[in-house]
Amino acid sequence: MEDFINLILEPLKELFLKFKVFVPNLLAMLVILFIGILLALVLKRFLAKFLAAINFDSWSDRMGFTKLMRKGDLWSKPSATLGEAVFWLLIIVTLMSGLNALQITAIDQLVNQFFSYIPRIFSAAMILTIGYLLSGFISRTVLIAAANSGFHYAKLLAKAVHTLLIMLILAMIMEQLQIAPSIVLAAFSIIFGGIVIALAIAFGVGGINAARRIIEKETMPKREDETKDEIEHI
Amino acid sequence: MSDFYQTGIITTLHQLGKPSLERLESELYGFSKVRPIALVLPSLYSEFEGPAMPGIVQELAKVKYLNEIVLVLDNASEKEFQKVREFMSPISTDVRIIHNDGKRISEIYETFARNGFNVGERGKGRSAWLSYGYVLARRRSDIIALHDCDIVTYSRELLARLCYPVVNPNLDYVFCKGYYSRISNKMNGRVTRLLVTPLVRSLQQLVGPHNFLAFLDSFRYPLAGEFCMTTDLARVNRIPWDWGLEVGSLAEVHRNYSPRRVCQVDIAANYDHKHQVLSADDASKGLMKMTVDICKSIFRTLASEGVVFSDGLFKSLLVSYLRQAEDTIMKYEADAAINGLKFDRHEEAMAVEAFTRAIGMATQVFMENPMATPLIPNWNRVTSAIPDIFEMLQIAVDADNK
Repeated sequence: MEDFINLILEPLKELFLKFKVFVPNLLAMLVILFIGILLALVLKRFLAKFLAAINFDSWSDRMGFTKLMRKGDLWSKPSATLGEAVFWLLIIVTLMSGLNALQITAIDQLVNQFFSYIPRIFSAAMILTIGYLLSGFISRTVLIAAANSGFHYAKLLAKAVHTLLIMLILAMIMEQLQIAPSIVLAAFSIIFGGIVIALAIAFGVGGINAARRIIEKETMPKREDETKDEIEHI
Repeated sequence: MSDFYQTGIITTLHQLGKPSLERLESELYGFSKVRPIALVLPSLYSEFEGPAMPGIVQELAKVKYLNEIVLVLDNASEKEFQKVREFMSPISTDVRIIHNDGKRISEIYETFARNGFNVGERGKGRSAWLSYGYVLARRRSDIIALHDCDIVTYSRELLARLCYPVVNPNLDYVFCKGYYSRISNKMNGRVTRLLVTPLVRSLQQLVGPHNFLAFLDSFRYPLAGEFCMTTDLARVNRIPWDWGLEVGSLAEVHRNYSPRRVCQVDIAANYDHKHQVLSADDASKGLMKMTVDICKSIFRTLASEGVVFSDGLFKSLLVSYLRQAEDTIMKYEADAAINGLKFDRHEEAMAVEAFTRAIGMATQVFMENPMATPLIPNWNRVTSAIPDIFEMLQIAVDADNK
């Protein structure tokens, strides 16, 4: 009988011991979560005030970031969106740190993976920001240059350049975030290669006569009256 | 039938005989292939519950020459916005509704505010301005026609006659304003009859010959809300957001274009819409508020053209206006008598007294701050400060209309 009772009590004792070890970890997690959420809220408010002070929304309107947000059907202020993004990033970091405090092996691995992924997110955000600004600048330069050269399809050309650059940036971001890198690479190569082949065919077929004229002009033997003039060319 | 007398420095297009609507519409259909027309309708949700809007929709459903209709809806919830979309569905033309109270358009207004643009308070001026922006953003139309949504006597002939002078490329007009008589069993249109015309004439008396006053006096119904213009004009014109909308818009047209390219057209034998109360005791609403805003707009325009206003001139103006308005009452009394219309001379005199007080208030406000300008900046300036605003506006409206 005693053996039978022991059989029941032993697992319970073990469970209690494990729980005793676990409780401080749980408390640590709760404290981390509380402080993290509080910090995230304070930082969000501070960021909102700071961004308002430096006229971030107005700058974003002029730089084209607001338009990008609107295209994605985001209709809050750019500063509020940035504040929200930072807030949720901090909440996720807090959550991960809290889970880490539980010291459970499976979760530890997940947390490590997450923290090693953060630099990639940052570099992807940097590529997006700088790339978007640069693509806008380059497409505008193309527009001005083409329009000044009297090119009829200047706007179309500028848009095409902009679209290609955005595609390149998106592919770089996906590659950076390691989202199906092989598929992205293959898709990007196919699309870019396709565009280049299409352009090559278009220019080749369209410019076949011009190319023939140039080649014929280069290869044709020079006429005698052209070579034997009074002035000798050096 | 009207006469064919040409008044003032702009062209007047009369309704002579019985012109065929079918001919007019068929010509408009042809012209609209090269000069596409957008119709702008500034409206309140309450107008969809009134008697005018069902008739307007019924008539617009028969119009084939319009390229697009842009309806700006004010004071409407999301549910009411959806009802209005349903209401407009019988019209085959592409109808876009700008939901002024929707979250997307509210954010567009926020964008203007944070970039230093004061687009004014809610009202017809602001709504019309935003809809011009949308038409410019879409780049699908060359001509913009606008009329109110409270016209009880609406017929599609009104729209055809309004559009024709600007749409017809052989006529070379950039702006055309509608005119009509406002009679029921009595004469309506008190602000035009008893305020604007006598005020402009007394100003001419005091200031002497002046281009803008001659221009304003040339219009038979300067406060008519119906007009048609080119999109180029919509791009450069600044619009007042208060009751000075009509007079202020005319001032901008006068500033930007030669009177030779401006005309007025007889668009209806009779016209009836929502009537404003006089509100003689309260200058912050009704016809009194309208009067103050109109006077301020006229004074400001004249000052900007070099007219010097002084206390003495304003004192003389009040007396001169009163005399002009009294003479006008007598003229209209005779006009009413011969046409068998009711004419309450006492009521008209009371209106003139109220208008005189309103002019006094406007002079005071003007003297205190002559620089206060309720003009919404033109779209050229807005796009210069916010290059993507057209795209953002288009995204907002298109998303709302999905």
